[in-house]
Amino acid sequence: MNKNKHGLLSVLGMAVVSSLVLSACDNGAKVDIAKQIGANPQMPGAQNFLMPPMQVPGGVGWKDGQAPKVVSGLSIEKIASKLLHPRQLLALPNGDILVVESNGPGQEAVTTPKQLIAGVVKGRSGKGGKGGNRITLLRKKEGAAGEWEKYVFLENLHSPFGVQLIGDNLYVANTGNIMKYHYNTGDTRISDPGTELADLPDTVNHHWTKAMVASADGKKLYVGSGSNSNIAENSMAVEYRRAAVLEVDVESGASRIYASGLRNPTGLQFEPKSGKLWAIVNERDEIGADLVPDYMTSVQEHGFYGWPYSYYGQNVDTRIKQQRPDLVAKAIKPDFALGSHVAALGLWFYNGNNLPEKYRGGAFVSEHGSWDRTPLSGYQVVYVPFENGKPTGAAVEPIVTGFHSADEKDLYGAPVGLTQDAAGALLIADDVGNVIWRVSAAKQ
Amino acid sequence: MRVENKSSAFKLASAVFNLLNPVPFGLFVAVMIFDFIYASTAEVLWVKSAAWLVSLGLIFAIVPRLINLGFVWFGKNRAAAAVKLDFWLNLIAVVTALLNAFVHSRDSYAAIPDALWLSVATVVLMAIGRVVLAWQNISFKEFGHE
Repeated sequence: MNKNKHGLLSVLGMAVVSSLVLSACDNGAKVDIAKQIGANPQMPGAQNFLMPPMQVPGGVGWKDGQAPKVVSGLSIEKIASKLLHPRQLLALPNGDILVVESNGPGQEAVTTPKQLIAGVVKGRSGKGGKGGNRITLLRKKEGAAGEWEKYVFLENLHSPFGVQLIGDNLYVANTGNIMKYHYNTGDTRISDPGTELADLPDTVNHHWTKAMVASADGKKLYVGSGSNSNIAENSMAVEYRRAAVLEVDVESGASRIYASGLRNPTGLQFEPKSGKLWAIVNERDEIGADLVPDYMTSVQEHGFYGWPYSYYGQNVDTRIKQQRPDLVAKAIKPDFALGSHVAALGLWFYNGNNLPEKYRGGAFVSEHGSWDRTPLSGYQVVYVPFENGKPTGAAVEPIVTGFHSADEKDLYGAPVGLTQDAAGALLIADDVGNVIWRVSAAKQ
Repeated sequence: MRVENKSSAFKLASAVFNLLNPVPFGLFVAVMIFDFIYASTAEVLWVKSAAWLVSLGLIFAIVPRLINLGFVWFGKNRAAAAVKLDFWLNLIAVVTALLNAFVHSRDSYAAIPDALWLSVATVVLMAIGRVVLAWQNISFKEFGHE
């Protein structure tokens, strides 16, 4: 009997040791995230994990009267609430604001046990909330403070994200196509069924958002088509016209790959000084809390930016079996790193004159926030100064913060789409708080 | 020599053990085969299938391993040395399979080569346990054997 007890103790001992082995791996970030911002981010070597670093705050939403924090000189107010997962914003010429309420179509098949767990984790954060599949129009009440008037503008969409107005045609990028609708200035509702301008890559939809921006002459639409995987784990067969910026001809609907190797290009905008196309790109996960920094970059025609074979130029990703040294050799290093796992999604080149002088001429970037990093990163809106069409320096200034609790347990909101209103204030869509925030110069 | 335990609880446990115990071994053999195919083809079908098999193998292993634990260490009679060896080999195999399940959660080719040696280790450990028991001509019913 004594011998049996001894055996039991060793069983328990082994159980303790093995659980320690699993939990003892220190997966936290080791590089100061400030050193991962700018043209030359500091990047440690890639790691493989038993369990990737994972930390997600629980989505709780905003309490009454609670709001994100802004830097001094600015004030913040809520102009709309109780929306259904607001993701993107578009300011119409008459001052109305369109809010695209959307989330993923949920059509990606569960093909690995990991996806079951990831789905539960994402649901906890509130980022998995149901999207409205619609566009709501906000109109400022004349002379009244508080929330703006709300109109249901366009319904029955299919995971829409990008929306653009060219002349009197409104283009909406659903996850699988671009729809065209007739719009009259002042309309608060579109009941016209619309016509399909072009189809977009629509299988799997791992990355489902189709960001969209129109060229200045209104002849082309540029569409961000994100990869169907983190790092090609669903095979390259489903990556056709993915991880790319597509150029769609507005007249004919014909499209082509404009640039490629951009893992998940969102936040497409034209930089006003240079007239160049810029994109925010979310980089790959699961090779470290400090890899790979998400970035913003100018997008060159026919440019290849590395995914999945390499990152930041020639840093090869060994998780790809069929290596492509020919493509790695020509991979372009992106212009400006924003930090690892910040999940930047929104980009807005500010050209108004409401905000203080130092926020003019550069770009605001919204960082939706990390899941693959300890401590958290992102969950803020930052300002990136530009000069002569290029970002300057190696730092960003957080402008709007306080989206999660100080102990990183509770998530109140997460910033996504950005635009500016007629008065030059910055508008922020918050898809966890289901709110639109308006940031303007503080009254003196 | 044979001391048959005739209690109905023992019979039920024995039946459940005999039904479930072969399942993880078969699944882990399939994991090993699939991992080698994936290593040479890089066709994601194989590694994704192996990820399910190793997870299912672990789930199927829970009940028979607990029954085994009960009979080896808490039985009325002392277990034979071969039975204890089989217990330890299976325990280590469960640990390597668990590590393998985590390794299989990596994306694309990152599971290779760790998945290969972990799946081979799991199968070899369980196979040795089976051979040792067979060599001693011990079946589960004889765990109460003096």
